[in-house]
Amino acid sequence: MNEPLAESVGRDSPSAPSPDQAQAEWASTEFAQLYAEHSRAIFYLALRFLGDPAKAEDATHDVFLKAFRKMDQFRGEASWRTWLYRIAINHCRNLQQAWHDRHIFSNADEAVWDNAVARADSPLRVLEIKELGERIQKALDALPDEYRLLLLLVADDELSYEEVGTLTEQSPDAVRGKLHRARKAFAALFQKSDPTPNHETSKQI
Amino acid sequence: MKHQSKFNPEQQHTAAQQSRQQTTREFTTAEELLRYDASEVTVPPAIAQRLRQSSADLPGPSKPWWRRLFGR
Repeated sequence: MNEPLAESVGRDSPSAPSPDQAQAEWASTEFAQLYAEHSRAIFYLALRFLGDPAKAEDATHDVFLKAFRKMDQFRGEASWRTWLYRIAINHCRNLQQAWHDRHIFSNADEAVWDNAVARADSPLRVLEIKELGERIQKALDALPDEYRLLLLLVADDELSYEEVGTLTEQSPDAVRGKLHRARKAFAALFQKSDPTPNHETSKQI
Repeated sequence: MKHQSKFNPEQQHTAAQQSRQQTTREFTTAEELLRYDASEVTVPPAIAQRLRQSSADLPGPSKPWWRRLFGR
């Protein structure tokens, strides 16, 4: 769905439709289809980048509303997914910056993660899926912003290293290099968050 | 997405443990784990509802520049 959208979105009908009609009308628009196709990716990025479901909900709404307003500026040079990610990344960074301005915050030095004990190529094993989200969030929260964003973008199958590089303003080779360190750091932090450190399987993380 | 479910027989020391039947999932990379996590996340339906209301208050997006230029 990389072709620019038509302008047939958000038109007011002469008579006020019922809520059901309005919902059906909206669902049939191309913008609603854009939302249906990409909302999970954008919400997930916001959720794990911001680490707060309520903020992620607001951010996803705001990102798509910005996209709605700016749809005429979409030139089709990138995919819709990449275009939406760009808006989302800028939005999340602005939110985070506003938060940082109000709080004293320091990220660990990258060297800490470069020297992380866990091997980047070790399998990540989990026993309890229900606590998986919390463990992932803790590990991501402790990562430098750059690594966190990189992992979240690379995890999207629809993005190439080139697209991730464009979104993070670096070359694909730099993406690959940093990805290795990001994986290593994540694995170390994920292991640290294991609630059953003496469990036989967790030793292999 | 590659992820494996493994049943670990070494964990079946007691009946209680047996009843739990814990499943071990293995992910080769962090991205694989995140992909699985993303697939488990539900997008709150409230977002679409809010978006519909918000966008209804705005004029519809204008034609893309290339459509205005070429009259498509």
